Amino acid sequence: MESLYQFLQNNAIYIVMIIVLIVWTGIFFYLFNLDKRIKNVEKEFKNSKDWQ
Amino acid sequence: MAWKIFLFLLLSFVSVAGIAFPIVENPTHWYEFPLIKGLEQNAKIIFFHVPTAWLTVVAFLMSTIFSIRYLARKNLNDDAKSYAAAQLGIIFCILATITGAVWAKFAWGSYWSWDPRQTSIFALLLIYGAWFALRSSIESEEKRATLSAVYSIIAFLTVPFFIFIMPRIMKGLHPGSADDTNAGPIVNFKMNGNMQLIFFLSLTAFTILYFWMWNLGYKSLIFKDKINKIYTKG
Repeated sequence: MESLYQFLQNNAIYIVMIIVLIVWTGIFFYLFNLDKRIKNVEKEFKNSKDWQ
Repeated sequence: MAWKIFLFLLLSFVSVAGIAFPIVENPTHWYEFPLIKGLEQNAKIIFFHVPTAWLTVVAFLMSTIFSIRYLARKNLNDDAKSYAAAQLGIIFCILATITGAVWAKFAWGSYWSWDPRQTSIFALLLIYGAWFALRSSIESEEKRATLSAVYSIIAFLTVPFFIFIMPRIMKGLHPGSADDTNAGPIVNFKMNGNMQLIFFLSLTAFTILYFWMWNLGYKSLIFKDKINKIYTKG
């Protein structure tokens, strides 16, 4: 039975797939954190009297 | 919260399926894609390139809708929404152009060959590029918002022609051109059911992603305006 390493060496498209998944995970968590931060700013704004 | 996890899983699934599912001549398993003549192994671009072009249209449409709303209600928040949408629109337009050019190198033999599709997206980039130049040249907020709203409405009138009509009635290399006998209308009858499903899942996932990015974009623009106003007031 061939090892996982050998399998990936023969089927390079799965390496592309893994890399795309890693990039997407990174982008997702960046957006997720940005969303949280913007919601916090929004909350602070709503509590202050300057918000019109 | 739940929809974010849904989006994460959906786009992960689309990436796995779109990249790793094999393209074979006669699909027998549910995970196999049919071989489309003229596209061959390059056909996998459809799961990533078409959604970017689709988001270009969605983003420019949203930009125009909020431009109309701005003109009707004169609320600067609508201008921020329109601006954030157009920003995303131009980003996805550039992405569609670049992914298309890379694909064209291997499908047509050169990155750029002034195919009707390439020419029309180039014109679209120029039209919307001019919009950003217009915005950055006007200092008064209200004036900028009004002028750019009017320009945005006029600019959007060209989008259906450049994206949907012109490349289809002219002869060209891009799949779906008037003289295209190989690939033809791909989505309708060259794909099998499972390829169509993953294609539409991809469109859905990218659309959700767009609305999320747009939401973050216009909120940060609106907050920036509010903070500026607070500081200039005090």
